[in-house]
Amino acid sequence: MTALDNWLERATRGLSKESAAEVRREIGDHYESARETAMAAGAAAEAAERSALIALGDAKAANRQYRRVLLTSSEAWLLREGSSEAKALCTGNSWFRWPVLVLSLFALAAGAAWYRAGAGSLGRLALAIGIGAGFWLAVPLLPVYTPVRGRVFRGVKWLVQAGTLVLAFGPGAFRMSWLIVLCLGSLAWTEWKRAAIRRKLSVPQWPKHLYL
Amino acid sequence: MNFKGTLPTLILEAIVHEPSHGYRIAQRIKERSEGVLDFKEGTLYPALHKLESDGLVESYEGVEKGRPRRYYRITKTGRAVLAKDRSEWRQLSRAVTMILGEA
Repeated sequence: MTALDNWLERATRGLSKESAAEVRREIGDHYESARETAMAAGAAAEAAERSALIALGDAKAANRQYRRVLLTSSEAWLLREGSSEAKALCTGNSWFRWPVLVLSLFALAAGAAWYRAGAGSLGRLALAIGIGAGFWLAVPLLPVYTPVRGRVFRGVKWLVQAGTLVLAFGPGAFRMSWLIVLCLGSLAWTEWKRAAIRRKLSVPQWPKHLYL
Repeated sequence: MNFKGTLPTLILEAIVHEPSHGYRIAQRIKERSEGVLDFKEGTLYPALHKLESDGLVESYEGVEKGRPRRYYRITKTGRAVLAKDRSEWRQLSRAVTMILGEA
């Protein structure tokens, strides 16, 4: 392994395959130009390689900066494999929309009936399911595909999620911290990663599901 | 010399007249500052990627001496940001010179 390979290994740690390949290409070109310039100025091959490498600076510092602007492995995975429900909603012709619509209407009707019959907690749970499912069904009909509208939609999404939680389990839901961690923890982690992806990609590169 | 935070502006200035590739941008900044602004070149590309995702520069593939290179050119938004940065820098520089000049 050459000194440059070693530098690149450390500078690309944690980056996605595509990001790492891009770094290897641009730094490789840069290093080659610096080496050629030094040799043209009369430096010996070894000295030219050393000075080109020194000019690049600390690989760890470069890695920290690269991770702020290029996709990491986990972000690339999330973009490729994750958010399947949001991706399916964006396609507009997903097969599960009809079962979800039926579930949503059924849950709303059952919730109202149970509530009237005095089964309050069961009624609230069914209503929460109906409202939550109905909200996601509305997504393809909403014009959310600009950065500002997307931001507003995501704010509303969190309010609806918190609201359905309160509706389902009552105002005491937020006192059950284990429930919050269970229900919202993984969602918050995914949302955090998606925010990082939005920062790193230019708006024309955003896939539709990234707006949600 | 530490010039943290000003690298994006210096990059925009280096490509304001013609598109350029990373190595030439780094050399241009060093030459124009007569070696005073000597930064680690490994940090240039993350700054270029950030400028690109912010829409201030755009990149394209080109060839130099038979070797494929990625060139960066400033966008209309980039020019507007550079003009604003220049004006802010002049104001800041004048204010600091006034204070230090009195010392």
